[in-house]
Amino acid sequence: MSNGEKTTILILDDEAIVLKRLGPALEKAGYEIEVFSRSSDASSRIMEKNFDIVITDLKMEGLDGMQFLTQVKERSPGTEVIVITGFATMDTAKESFQKGVFDFLAKPFKLGEILETVKKAEKKIKQAGLS
Amino acid sequence: MAGKLLTWTKNTFGARGKHQKKVAFVSLFHTFQRILELNNRILEVMADMGDKLGGDYVFDRQYINSSCRQMTNLVHELIYHFNALAPKKYSALDGIFRSINIDIEEELAGRLVIPQSEYVMPYEIISRDFADVVGGKNANIAEIKNRLGLAVPEGFAITTRAFKSFFDYNDFQAKVEGILNAWEDAELTSEAASKEIMDLIKSGSIEPQFQRAVEKALKHLRHITGIRSLFLAVRSSAMGEDSEHSFAGQYLSLLNRPEQDLLQCYKDVLASAYSPFAMEYRRQKGFSVYEVAMAVACQCMVDARISGVLYSLDPLDPTSEVMVISATWGLGVPVVSGKTNADRFTVSRESPYDVKGLDIVRKTERFVAKERGDCEFQPVIEEMQTRMCLTEEQIRDIAEAGIMIERYYKYPQDIEWAIDQKNQLHILQARPLNIKAQMSQVVCDISSVTEKYPVIFSGRGIIVQNGIATGKVFMVQSDGDLDNFPNGAILVARETSPRFAKVARKANAIITDVGTSTGHMATISREFRIPTIVNTGMATEILKPGQEITLDAEENVVYEGRIKELCYYGFMEDAFEETYEYRLLRRVLKKITPLNMVDPYDKDFNPSGCRTYHDITRFVHEKAVEELIDINNDRHPDAEAKRKKLKLEIPLDLIIIDIDGGLKETIDSSTITTDQIQSVPMRSFLEGLSAPGSWSREPMSVDFGSFMSSLTRTFSSHLVSPRYVGQNLAVISGEYANISLRLGYHFNMIDAYIGNQINDNYAYFRFLGGVTDPIRRSRRAKFIYEALSQNDFNVDLRGDLVIGRIKKLGPQLMERKMALLGQLVGFTRQLDVQMNSDRQIVKFIREFEGLARADNNTKGLGREIQ
Repeated sequence: MSNGEKTTILILDDEAIVLKRLGPALEKAGYEIEVFSRSSDASSRIMEKNFDIVITDLKMEGLDGMQFLTQVKERSPGTEVIVITGFATMDTAKESFQKGVFDFLAKPFKLGEILETVKKAEKKIKQAGLS
Repeated sequence: MAGKLLTWTKNTFGARGKHQKKVAFVSLFHTFQRILELNNRILEVMADMGDKLGGDYVFDRQYINSSCRQMTNLVHELIYHFNALAPKKYSALDGIFRSINIDIEEELAGRLVIPQSEYVMPYEIISRDFADVVGGKNANIAEIKNRLGLAVPEGFAITTRAFKSFFDYNDFQAKVEGILNAWEDAELTSEAASKEIMDLIKSGSIEPQFQRAVEKALKHLRHITGIRSLFLAVRSSAMGEDSEHSFAGQYLSLLNRPEQDLLQCYKDVLASAYSPFAMEYRRQKGFSVYEVAMAVACQCMVDARISGVLYSLDPLDPTSEVMVISATWGLGVPVVSGKTNADRFTVSRESPYDVKGLDIVRKTERFVAKERGDCEFQPVIEEMQTRMCLTEEQIRDIAEAGIMIERYYKYPQDIEWAIDQKNQLHILQARPLNIKAQMSQVVCDISSVTEKYPVIFSGRGIIVQNGIATGKVFMVQSDGDLDNFPNGAILVARETSPRFAKVARKANAIITDVGTSTGHMATISREFRIPTIVNTGMATEILKPGQEITLDAEENVVYEGRIKELCYYGFMEDAFEETYEYRLLRRVLKKITPLNMVDPYDKDFNPSGCRTYHDITRFVHEKAVEELIDINNDRHPDAEAKRKKLKLEIPLDLIIIDIDGGLKETIDSSTITTDQIQSVPMRSFLEGLSAPGSWSREPMSVDFGSFMSSLTRTFSSHLVSPRYVGQNLAVISGEYANISLRLGYHFNMIDAYIGNQINDNYAYFRFLGGVTDPIRRSRRAKFIYEALSQNDFNVDLRGDLVIGRIKKLGPQLMERKMALLGQLVGFTRQLDVQMNSDRQIVKFIREFEGLARADNNTKGLGREIQ
């Protein structure tokens, strides 16, 4: 992200509609986006590259989102993770915050909300970089 | 509200212990209250679900499932309570509810509900929602006819269900799989495997039911075309054929076949799904055997004089901003297959579609339909060979249709067209142009491109339909302006109007100052997929007529200038509406939101007329009020809680049911006057309602006034038996009032408790517009919203549903608020007729404020100190 490079974001959700809506919206907002509908693909991608921000669903076929974000945090603690989920419970929210998640958004949400959250995460990363 | 009610019930009845009959009524009234609550809840969930179609939200399957189930539970509970109120009277509702629920569950389970027949769908009833059943080709051509109003060949689709049942009926699945396995294991060559399967399919027999459905469709086709003996084009319309997986041209298309050969043609087309090429292609792309499901298009032949192909954007040079038309004499097959030379025109993509270049070639042959079926090449006479085969006017027609189709599908199109002997243009087929590869080179970094353009405004208003559009601003101030609306312009107006439907095929986008995402126009924008933003509050002031702008109704930004790259970027994306989840939400909402039960006096206003959850909800609401009046009348003739007719100065038929201490004692007549009312909230409400100025407003002619009074009387005495005294009802006690009013076509419901315990006090006001004239209706809702907000109510506006709440004020101030509600009801009842423009909202607000203040002063009810 430094040197004027774009903030990189990985989005993982097994529903096409979420990726199709979120991907272009973030791309147009000036972010570098990679989208994945299969957690196994996203999993191998984070082994190759560290993203600034990861946006992930929690409930998906195959690998659980919680496992995935644990992997992300282990591999790259500086990556900010934003959880988006249609099955929001207090427990899942609590658990994800314990794992160091930046924010937790329950679907359905407005595009503006996630953009704002991404901006906040970006700010946090920048501040971390400066200190 | 339920908690309050409990308090109220306990206070009123528990402590003082009234006799049995009254308690029974209370429990029924309790049920009635629950019905009202459910009714509100259902309308709210419905509005929320509709909002999700706008594109401003990210939602998923889970949302669709859970909101549908929530809706089903609410409606189920509504019917349950209604049945308690009117036992066995409307039991048909249960069956109607179940069948709607089954349809919704089927949709959620991924099984499309096909109307009429499983096997065949005539074009008239096909929409894009059925793409999975009829295939892309059929769905596109039917939408072009039904939605865009362009001429296409009459016809019908044989569905993918028919394909499956054909396979099942002949036990083909296992056999085909066996052959494919042998091919996978290299025991058979592609050619040999293909031949075996194709032979098998061609020899299959057609189920009698299926055959009957096809015969019926043919009969219908003969009837609408007036042709006694049909000749048909029979083409494949496979799933995915016209989209990202390009099977284009790989499947069989049969032209000019006599109708009696249709079923054989059908089998031949199906068999082509197993050509060696198609098999190989599917293997490479990883398609499973089960994913092969071919629908077939059966269309009447167009007697084509000229035919050809239009690319709405030049695929070889997409940034050149031109369309390309190829045309030749006769049928278009040779042009499509590239077997013959054709005239070539490059045409501007903007109205009036000037021809920018032409290349006229010698056309020595034309492909024509033979009289008894099939087609052949014939020589073209010498003088026609070098003649340009399209006139400028015809070029314009084709170009205009092309842009219309592109705008609708939000993607450059590859369109086959024909012009018949009567010079009528027909669209034969439309599919997305394969230009993704070229586009990706044009668009590199979208955010750096948009940075160069000034933003006129962003984040204002509500996205009603997403998408990207460029064009010149065209201001619409009156209906007359719509007649001059230029093709491809951006409609900018102060308010939303359903009349914009008139230019729905021409407008590139719509931007308004006011409006909601649930109004009638929102539906139109979504049906026609016009990028639309409403409620910007400022568009008409900031934008100038003729100004070139770009609307990004995905990110909610309006840019100055024409950002071509943004449009190209839009082409690159798969449209949001094309996602499975979006289509699913649209489909389930069709079973939920449309309102058909409009007029309670219509003979079809009965359970069997209900088609959607909204219908059921509306029906139950109407009948619940009626029931409450009847129950009281029929079952408790001697009870104290007896209905009385209230005599009022104003023309309003209002029935009062007193359940405890709402009326002065010892009244034994069927009519009462206002001074006999003791109920605190009711008394205040009536004071407001009949205050000078709030009911009848000047100037109003005598005729007009009497017209209004006929509207506000909910029945004509000679039409309805005296037992049924309309739907205006108030159930009251000393501290409580529940008032249901139907004035004209809209509903007011007020529920209030005013006692000495400040914490128990509340007033709830709900207004729901009817179904007449949506613009005025929404203006009135807006007016009510403003009036309530300015008077400290907590207000929620959703479409034309306005909900105002206020609570925990001292009794005097609560009374004041009730009087205000009375005034508001009186004041608004006639605004429908008078609200001709949005500016009047402001005027009425001022007027209403003045009225409320004047009334305040005369009564000496200044601001109460809490």
